[in-house]
Amino acid sequence: MKERKTTFKFFTITQYEKEQNYLRKMHKNGWRFIGATVPGFYHFEQCIPEDMIYQLDYNQEGINHKEDYIQMFQDCGWEYLTDFVGYSYFRKAANKMKREEGIFCDDSSRLDMMKRIFKGKMLPLLCIFFAIIIPQLYMQYSIEGFRGVMFIIFAILFVLYMIIFLSFGVEYWKFKRNLK
Amino acid sequence: MDAHIKKVYVPMTETSFYILLCLRKPNHGYGIVQQVDEMTNGDIRLTPGTMYGSLSKMEKDGLIQFIRKEEKRKIYQITDLGDKVLRLELKRIERLYQNAREAQR
Repeated sequence: MKERKTTFKFFTITQYEKEQNYLRKMHKNGWRFIGATVPGFYHFEQCIPEDMIYQLDYNQEGINHKEDYIQMFQDCGWEYLTDFVGYSYFRKAANKMKREEGIFCDDSSRLDMMKRIFKGKMLPLLCIFFAIIIPQLYMQYSIEGFRGVMFIIFAILFVLYMIIFLSFGVEYWKFKRNLK
Repeated sequence: MDAHIKKVYVPMTETSFYILLCLRKPNHGYGIVQQVDEMTNGDIRLTPGTMYGSLSKMEKDGLIQFIRKEEKRKIYQITDLGDKVLRLELKRIERLYQNAREAQR
């Protein structure tokens, strides 16, 4: 039986590049990625160290039409691994590439993926924020004032959501700047 | 042709251009990747994330259409609208090329 290990890592919605680099580094150290579980457990299996390029795609349509989606990646030499919170994971050995390769080859499609992430992940959060958290915050304040337990809970949620929105904004800005 | 199509596809990315060019005959995504690899002597390697996203976007915009499935691969073909957009783009590139040639004389 091969040895296994699990690590805990937290990546924000847009930090998929960091995640890719992390998985690559693990594989170089002899730990092959086998799957992830919420909220951020990464499972590995011991393997022969190798330089493997890991790539994440965020494509709901691909997940809904898995058959031809995975086939396209396989045809291009990418091994499909798993899905985790809307992302699909792929890998390919670096020595099978003529030059370093990713699953995207132009900026327009990289931006399209960012837009899909925004629609799939940020939009629902924005809806919750404006439809529930803000009205509740106001209501709880008028009922119990600043010291009410419910007010404090919603205030914490408010701050948490603001952090998420801000970090997405910063990541998006960095991403746009890197394109050109 | 509506404003959205013009805005997105004139001018278009190299990927979209080669997709339209290759889909004058029915083909699947990986077929296009191979064809472009040959046409450009390996200079342009289209990648699956870009291909899958572009194909579904162009299908939604009505530039190409899905015709059938062959061994898990979706076969697409260009539509009349796609053909019009391709011609428009070709005209633009021709003018670009002619102007560049004249400027070098």
